[in-house]
Amino acid sequence: MDEINPAVSAFVQEAREILEGLEALLLDLESDSDAEQIDAVFRTLHTVKGSGAMFGFGTLSRFTHHFEDAFDRVREGRLSVDGRLIDLSLKARDHMIALLDCGGDGPGATALEATPGAVALLAALAEITGAASVAPKGAAPQATPEPAPSRTAGRRWTIRFRPEPDALRNGMRPDLLIAELGGLGSVEVGADIGALPALADLDPTLSHLGWTVTLDTDQPRSAIEAVFIFADDAELEITGEVTEPAPENPVRPVVGQAQPAAGEASRKKPEKTGESVRVPAGKLDEIMDQLGELVIAQARLSQMASHEPELESVVEEVERLVTGLRDATLSIRMLPIEVVFGKFRRVVRDLSAELGKEVTLITEGGETEIDKTVIDRLSEPLVHMIRNSMDHGIESAGVRLAAGKPARGTVRQEGGEVLIAIEDDGAGLDAEAIRAKAIERGLLTSEAQPGESELYQLIFAPGFSTAKELSSVSGRGVGMDAVRTTVDALRGAVEVASRAGLGTRVTLRLPVTLAIIDGLLVRLGDAVFVIPLASVEECVELDAAERQRESGRTMLCIREHLVPFLDLDVVFGRDPSTETRRRVVIVKADGQRLGLVVDDILGQHQTVIKTLSQYHRDVEGFAGATILGDGSVALIIDVATLTRRALAERAERKPAA
Amino acid sequence: MTTASSLSPAPNRAAAPEMVLIFRLSGEAFAISVSWVHEILDPIPMTTVPNAAAYVPALVNVRGAIVPLIDIRHRLRMPPVTPGPASRLVVLELPVAGVPTRLAIMTDAVEEVTETNLEALELVPDLGARWPEHYIRGVVRIGDDLAILLETENLFCPDAERPALA
Repeated sequence: MDEINPAVSAFVQEAREILEGLEALLLDLESDSDAEQIDAVFRTLHTVKGSGAMFGFGTLSRFTHHFEDAFDRVREGRLSVDGRLIDLSLKARDHMIALLDCGGDGPGATALEATPGAVALLAALAEITGAASVAPKGAAPQATPEPAPSRTAGRRWTIRFRPEPDALRNGMRPDLLIAELGGLGSVEVGADIGALPALADLDPTLSHLGWTVTLDTDQPRSAIEAVFIFADDAELEITGEVTEPAPENPVRPVVGQAQPAAGEASRKKPEKTGESVRVPAGKLDEIMDQLGELVIAQARLSQMASHEPELESVVEEVERLVTGLRDATLSIRMLPIEVVFGKFRRVVRDLSAELGKEVTLITEGGETEIDKTVIDRLSEPLVHMIRNSMDHGIESAGVRLAAGKPARGTVRQEGGEVLIAIEDDGAGLDAEAIRAKAIERGLLTSEAQPGESELYQLIFAPGFSTAKELSSVSGRGVGMDAVRTTVDALRGAVEVASRAGLGTRVTLRLPVTLAIIDGLLVRLGDAVFVIPLASVEECVELDAAERQRESGRTMLCIREHLVPFLDLDVVFGRDPSTETRRRVVIVKADGQRLGLVVDDILGQHQTVIKTLSQYHRDVEGFAGATILGDGSVALIIDVATLTRRALAERAERKPAA
Repeated sequence: MTTASSLSPAPNRAAAPEMVLIFRLSGEAFAISVSWVHEILDPIPMTTVPNAAAYVPALVNVRGAIVPLIDIRHRLRMPPVTPGPASRLVVLELPVAGVPTRLAIMTDAVEEVTETNLEALELVPDLGARWPEHYIRGVVRIGDDLAILLETENLFCPDAERPALA
C-alpha cells in the first residue's frame, strides 16, 4: 500500500498514540486491575487489530489477534493478571510498535515476524491462552468480569454512516466496517442510494452510498465508536435508545441530512485522556507573532479611543478578548510534566528486573505545566538520571537490609514550579572516589581541596565515571555530561546534594517556559529593558550619596548585607545617566545578590520571549527580546551572563591597573 | 527558485533577465534581487542592542516579528547618516549561512524595481571603489546610470567582517 496515502499515515500516527496509551494502561493494570481497565486494554487491541487489517497492516493485525485473545481470557476471568502477563504484554506492545514501524505488510514485516524474539513471543502468548483453557486458574477476584459496568443491557443503536466521495481512494473499506459492526451484535443494514448518479456519469472510484445500520448490542457506545476510529473521512452519527426493540424498521434515507457536527462529536476516542491535535510548533509561533501585532494594534486603538467616550466600552471589550486569546495561545504550548513521568515507569520497571533491585518510583507535582519544547528536551536527561540513581545509587537488596533500609529503594521525582529533583535513598556519592578519579584524569590537582558541591559538579565532566565495571545501564560516563549540556541549553542549572549512605539528590532548575516570562520593565534613558521577575529580589532607591561617591566603591548595604552593584549604563556602554532619582534592582544570579542600577522601574509585564537572531546570539547579557505593548522591541536581560560579563571585564581591567 | 542559481557567480547561466530593486545609499544606486525583498516600510522605531557588533546595531518590530537591522553602510564603509524623509526600511528574507533569515536594511531612498540582464554584469575595476570587494557582485547599467549589484551571501554573513579586515 502506498505509504504517502494520508489515510494510512493517519492510521500509523493514531495507532502509535494508542499504543503509547497501552503502555500506561498495562502498567496501571499491574498495580490496580479492575474490569474497566481490562476492558480498556481489550478495546485498544481490538481497535488496532481491526483498523490494522483495513489499512494493509495484516501482519500487525494477525499478531494483535493473539494478544487480544489473551486479554479476552483475562476478561472472562480465565486468566489472571500477574507480573508474567504484564511482562509479556509489554513485550508484545513493543513488538506491535516495531510492526507498525515496518509500514505495513511487506518483506520487513515478514522478516520481523520470523525473528526468534517474535516467535518466542507468539509461543508465550499461545501458551498463556492455551494453558489457561486446559486448566483454568483459580480466577483472581479482580479479574472476574463484573457483568454490569461496561455492558448495558440490550440497546438499540442507529448508526448513520456516509463516507466522503473520495474515501474509497484513501483506503476506506465500508464493507469491513459494517462487518465489524456485525461482530458487536445483530445488525440490519440499509443502503441509501439517493446520491447515486446515472450510470453514464458514474465514477467507480468515488463513493456515492450511505448506510444506516441498526444494531442491537450489549456493547457500550465506545465499542461502536472504536469501529469507526480511523474512518474520519466520513459523516458519522450514532444515536442510541434504551429500548425493547421497536417493531418498525427505522431505516430512513439520509439524503440531505448532512451532519458534520454530529460526526465530529461522535468520533471521540475512547481513551480517558481527552482528544488532542498535533500542530507543528512553527504554526504556534506564527499565531504568537500575529497576536503580538494584534496587541499592538489594540493598544493604538485604545489610545485613539481615549478621546471618543462612545468607543470606550468596545475598546475595553476588545482588550479583554485579546488578552484572553493571548493567554489561551500561550497555554497551548504548555503540557503537564506528567507526560514524561509516564515514560519513567517503564524504564524503572525494566531496570529493576535487569539490575535485580527492587525500586519504586514516586513522582510528585506531575501536574506542573511546562513548555512543550522544554519537556521534549528534558525527557532524555531525566531518564539518564534515573538510570544513574538506580544503577549507582540504590544498593542491592542485601546491602540495603544490612544498612537497615527497606529492601525496596525509592527514586523520587518532584516537578515543582521550576525545580525538578531526582532523589534516591541509596548509597550517596562517594566523594573520595570522585576525588581520586578527578586527580587521575587531571581534572584536579592532588593538593586541591574543593568543597563538596564543587567536587560533585565534577560528575558532569564528559566521560567521568567512578563505576568500577561497566553495566549495560551506565558507567560509561556519558549520561551526566549530556544532562548538563541539555540543562545549559535550556538556560537552567544543576545542583547535586548527597549524603553518604543516605542518598543523592540532583536538582534541575529550569525556566518554566522558553516562550513566556514575567518581566520587570526598567528604563535606561529612553531605552526599555526587561529583567525576568524570577531573578528579581527587590527594588530600592539609589542613595544620592551613593551616586556621587568617587572612591570607586560600588556596593550597597541592604539590611546589614553588602550587595555589590553594577551601573547598567556602564555595562551597556551608554552615556552616564544624568537623572537624579535612580533605582537599584536587586537580582540573584548564581546564588549571589547583585544590584543593577537603572533610571526607573516602569512596572511588571508578561512577555513573550523571542530568541535573538544569529547576529545577536553571541552578545552576552541578553536572553532574548520581546515586543512591548506600544510595539517597540525591548531586550530581555539575562542576569547570569550579564554578571559573568561584568566579572570578566573587571578581571581584564585588573592587570592593566 | 531561480534566485538560488543567481547567487552563484556564474554570469553565463543568467541569460534570463533578473528583476532587481534599486535603492540609494549616499546617492549611489545599489541593486538587490527582488526575490529576497519581503516588504518596504517607512522608518519605524528601532531598539539598539548594547554591545552588539557595529554592523548589526539594532532590532525592529516588523509585524510582530523581531528583525535585526543590518547597517550595510557600515559594511560598505560609508559614514553614518540620519534618516531623512525619503528613507525606507527594506525587509529582506533570504538564507544566511544556510538559515532562512528575515532582516532589515535602512536605505536613503527606494527607487524602482527594474529588469536587468546579468550577462551584462561588469566587475568593479581595481581601485574602482572603496567597498570591500567581496560584498559586491558587479556593476549593472540601468539606463544611463550604474547600479551596484550586492553580493548578499557575503554582505549579510555574520562572520564576514573578518575576511573584510584580512
